[in-house]
Amino acid sequence: MSRVIAIARNTLREVVRERVVLILALFGLALVIASQALSPLALGEGRKVVIDFGLAGSSILATLLTVFLGSSLLHKELERRTVYAILAKPIRREEFLVGKFLGLWFTTSMLLISMAGILAAVVTVAYGATPWSVFGAVGLSVMELSIVTAVVVLFSSFTTPALTAFFAIAAVVSGHFAEDLRYFASQGAPVGVQALAEAVYWTLPHLGVFNARGLVAHGIAVEPERLGFAFAYGALYAGGIVILAGTIFRRREFR
Amino acid sequence: MSRDRDDSRGRPGWAAEAAARSQLREVEPLPTILLDGVSKVYRDPMTLKPFTAVDGVSLSLEPGEIFGLLGPNGAGKTSTIKMILGLTRPTRGTIRLEGRDPQDPTARRRLGYLPENPCFYDHLTAEEYLGLVGSLFSIEPRTVRRRAEALLERLGLRVHGRKALRRFSKGMTQRLGLCQALLNEPAVLVLDEPMSGLDPIGRADVKHILREERARGATILMTSHVLAETEPLCDRVAILHRGRVLEMGSVKAILESDVLEWEITTDALPDQRMSLLREAGHRVDSVGSRWVVRVLDAGALQGILRTLTEERVFIRSVEPRRESLEEYFVRVLEADGVGTASGRESGGRS
Ligand SMILES: Nc1ncnc2c1ncn2[C@@H]1O[C@H](COP(=O)(O)OP(=O)(O)OP(=O)(O)O)[C@@H](O)[C@H]1O
Ligand SMILES: [Mg+2]
Repeated sequence: MSRVIAIARNTLREVVRERVVLILALFGLALVIASQALSPLALGEGRKVVIDFGLAGSSILATLLTVFLGSSLLHKELERRTVYAILAKPIRREEFLVGKFLGLWFTTSMLLISMAGILAAVVTVAYGATPWSVFGAVGLSVMELSIVTAVVVLFSSFTTPALTAFFAIAAVVSGHFAEDLRYFASQGAPVGVQALAEAVYWTLPHLGVFNARGLVAHGIAVEPERLGFAFAYGALYAGGIVILAGTIFRRREFR
Repeated sequence: MSRDRDDSRGRPGWAAEAAARSQLREVEPLPTILLDGVSKVYRDPMTLKPFTAVDGVSLSLEPGEIFGLLGPNGAGKTSTIKMILGLTRPTRGTIRLEGRDPQDPTARRRLGYLPENPCFYDHLTAEEYLGLVGSLFSIEPRTVRRRAEALLERLGLRVHGRKALRRFSKGMTQRLGLCQALLNEPAVLVLDEPMSGLDPIGRADVKHILREERARGATILMTSHVLAETEPLCDRVAILHRGRVLEMGSVKAILESDVLEWEITTDALPDQRMSLLREAGHRVDSVGSRWVVRVLDAGALQGILRTLTEERVFIRSVEPRRESLEEYFVRVLEADGVGTASGRESGGRS
């Protein structure tokens, strides 16, 4: 376990020392503040709009950051051969991969949580009441990020950064529309297509599970059962994907 | 064996005897690195055309020796090393590290590895990197700090400990590579071109360190093609070419074999004698104010010395010249059918 943490810590350092992260963090801050500036347009719905907009913005930002950083994370190590010296140490390749996953997930989650913190602070100052329910939504987003990170790690364990980014974004987008996909397929499509849609539906991550922004914007707290289910689903899905990625990475030959 | 133990149980002192026996068993050397008929076939990812980079290599390193794996560019040295570390898998044959499969992480616990042209994380400093390596070996942080400090000092990087690795020069990176390979006080060191990128002082430092490590009891496998560096360092060498071991043996035995030629150095040489010697097929060169006559066989040497003495030529010295490892290397490779230097450089074959 200490080896996994060492790799995770190193990944965190690597990511944090990239300038992009700083820029994106500033961008997130600007986003939260801008949403506040837009609120007069919302005709008395300001608080709701700011929370909805701020949460969606920070979640998308964190997702993009995960894809962007994650897709080159392994590739860079293989390309520059920094991985040779590391994997010659008494560490399993799976441990290395899990460390990478945890480091990246932790970093983007921290970014997401701080953006939510700033959002809550801005809303508190502007409207005089702290929107505590924001943190329930953020908890869900963090679990969603675990799935996104796992998917990125999976693809990066065997393809190029460009393909990884493409597949990961495709998975995230279709994951958000998984329910719709199944719905459309059920509306009179041929049986073969229906079966295929069903299979895709069950393979795709159901990212809708993690979206509670509408509720939270209306000031409704996320129910503990919903949080519990989302956490269990996220942990199982991400865990499964990371195990698959580890299996692929273990078999991989280093040139 | 077990019978024996039963018998001794009744007698006084059986415990001491058993202890001695178990100690004996511990001392009994386990081959540190063992390769048995190892081959590596790469496949072109597009055409799937196979290419044999390592072809049936068998080696066994004896504890406490420095073993040099020598060979021209593309001989398969790095390919062999990568299999030893479990970075790639042999297509055929088996590899054992202290009796274990290299894929087994515990097999690598007492191992230090310096990759060819190493590259470490840009975003870390030397100290941070050694810290990371220390935790991968599960060494206590305090011990890591102490050892890291000593190693950085030993490799002349002390003042660069807090510098980002992206600002490291090639030679500094190579030195750091050695630091990280030595951090766990390894029993087995695998060094792929440890001298590459180092200045003369650096190479002398590394040679000194390798000797110290051997004295500490480490077994060292190194690759090189700078043979002048390897000759005084290695106990044994293997010459690899086209993935096959052409020759293997102790450096002493290789170099102390035959005297290549005799060199007679004289102060002056009458013109007539010089042309006679040349006609007889000996090489005669003027070196500064002196003359050097190279004689290939010992029988002729006696005759020449006699005539020179009779002609009152002042003989400064007579020296046997043995083959250097470099000359031996070239001769072995030429015998294997590589004539030109360019042929060796490209390493191209199909
Ligand atoms: N990943 C790979 N895929 C295909 N061929 C490879 C691969 N790695 C090495 N080779 C080929 O195998 C041969 C041996 O390469 P290797 O790197 O082992 O040589 P080397 O002895 O270390 O040479 P050098 O002294 O230049 O470092 C070369 O012809 C090389 O082209
Ligand atoms: Mg090499």
